[in-house]
Amino acid sequence: MSDLLNITIDGRPCTCEAGEYLYDVAERNGIHIPALCRSDAFEDHRACCRVCIVEVEERGRRKVVTSCVYPVERECTVYTNSEKIAEERAVTLALLSKRAPESETIAAMAREAGGAEGFDRLVTLDGEKCILCGLCVQACDSLGTGAISTVNRGVDKMVSTPYDKPSADCIGCLSCANVCPTGAIEYAQDATSRTIWNRTFELALCERCGSPMGTKDAVHRAAQQAGVEEPRICDACRKRELADEMMHTYRYV
Amino acid sequence: MNDTDRASKITAIIEAYPADRRFALAAMQDMQHEFNYIPEEGLVALADYLDCSKAHLYSMATFYKALSLTPKGEHIIKICNGTACHLRGSVNLATELKRILDIEPGQTSADGEFSVEYVNCLGSCALAPVMVVDGVYHNKLKVDQISGIVESYRTDDSKDVVSND
Ligand code: SF4
Ligand code: FES
Ligand code: FES
Repeated sequence: MSDLLNITIDGRPCTCEAGEYLYDVAERNGIHIPALCRSDAFEDHRACCRVCIVEVEERGRRKVVTSCVYPVERECTVYTNSEKIAEERAVTLALLSKRAPESETIAAMAREAGGAEGFDRLVTLDGEKCILCGLCVQACDSLGTGAISTVNRGVDKMVSTPYDKPSADCIGCLSCANVCPTGAIEYAQDATSRTIWNRTFELALCERCGSPMGTKDAVHRAAQQAGVEEPRICDACRKRELADEMMHTYRYV
Repeated sequence: MNDTDRASKITAIIEAYPADRRFALAAMQDMQHEFNYIPEEGLVALADYLDCSKAHLYSMATFYKALSLTPKGEHIIKICNGTACHLRGSVNLATELKRILDIEPGQTSADGEFSVEYVNCLGSCALAPVMVVDGVYHNKLKVDQISGIVESYRTDDSKDVVSND
């Protein structure tokens, strides 16, 4: 398995292990491929936005692949921005812009890609940011929370809590909002509370400096999962405390 | 049906299956059969039993057209809207049903007696347009036959027996 392969990406020689995803190899070598629906937080990827397509030439044949889930199996030459790729990526982004016109990220990527002609006749989904990649659901599931899921199918598909009601399973941790590539998940926060998915959570405040450490439910869950006591002070204060202690200790050495 | 009745029916349906997630769909189908929809407490109980999230089951329940989260009518009228039936005027059947029952495909009449829905090709294209009521096929339908068919299913206080034609 640890056979090393030599591949060329955009003219640059790169080394990788067999089975490594092309996207990862490129990134490791400083070659950036635009992508929306993949997150470093997960090993398995959604592979649904198709923005990360590249062209691979193997044994004299060229094909378009989805780099975030394309395992390199043999030596090959990769073009991340060939004419064909540039064109197809521009089309994909033009379509995504129609789907999620409110997303600044997509708009910027579409501009970068140079835009594509001929999509004016398509309906734009007003006010929409979500591209239904499902990263948020994956994040929620991976925490064992399982508060949100995709609902319905086809044109009615969306992400929501069961019955669109505040979910008792939700802990208000913001994992979904943070992982979302388009900022589609809205939440509001003030000094003492946070509201997301129609539910308002009390924040746990650091006993020393008063800054929020997350929702009480999320802090509780994290401590429970780690099998430790719930923290009463925030990370920054704890580090300061530790530093003070060290100074104290070393003074007598 | 009172609440305890319903709760025990739900328990019976759920516990007929091993506590394994691959039976989620089967259990939900059974609830759909029993209640004409999947009651929220049924979905919650099933999630508990299978040790999976409610969101997961909700996702499944909203994905499959055969499952419903709101009560469906006692009689289900399916209008085929496959290509053949569409060409032979399935839309007119829907319009006629709308006139009689005042509901569109996807809706249930206020008295809870009828649900109307569009379905895809039922495999009887030669007999288009096709309408299926409670599993019974009505073929080569003409618009003026519809009200007769609907009335034959209506449970009328004045008439105890529902005739079949
Ligand atoms: S809300 Fe964001 S993360 Fe969730 S499906 Fe939509 S785009 Fe993806
Ligand atoms: S990042 Fe590869 S398909 Fe979305
Ligand atoms: S289209 Fe209606 S039965 Fe085939």
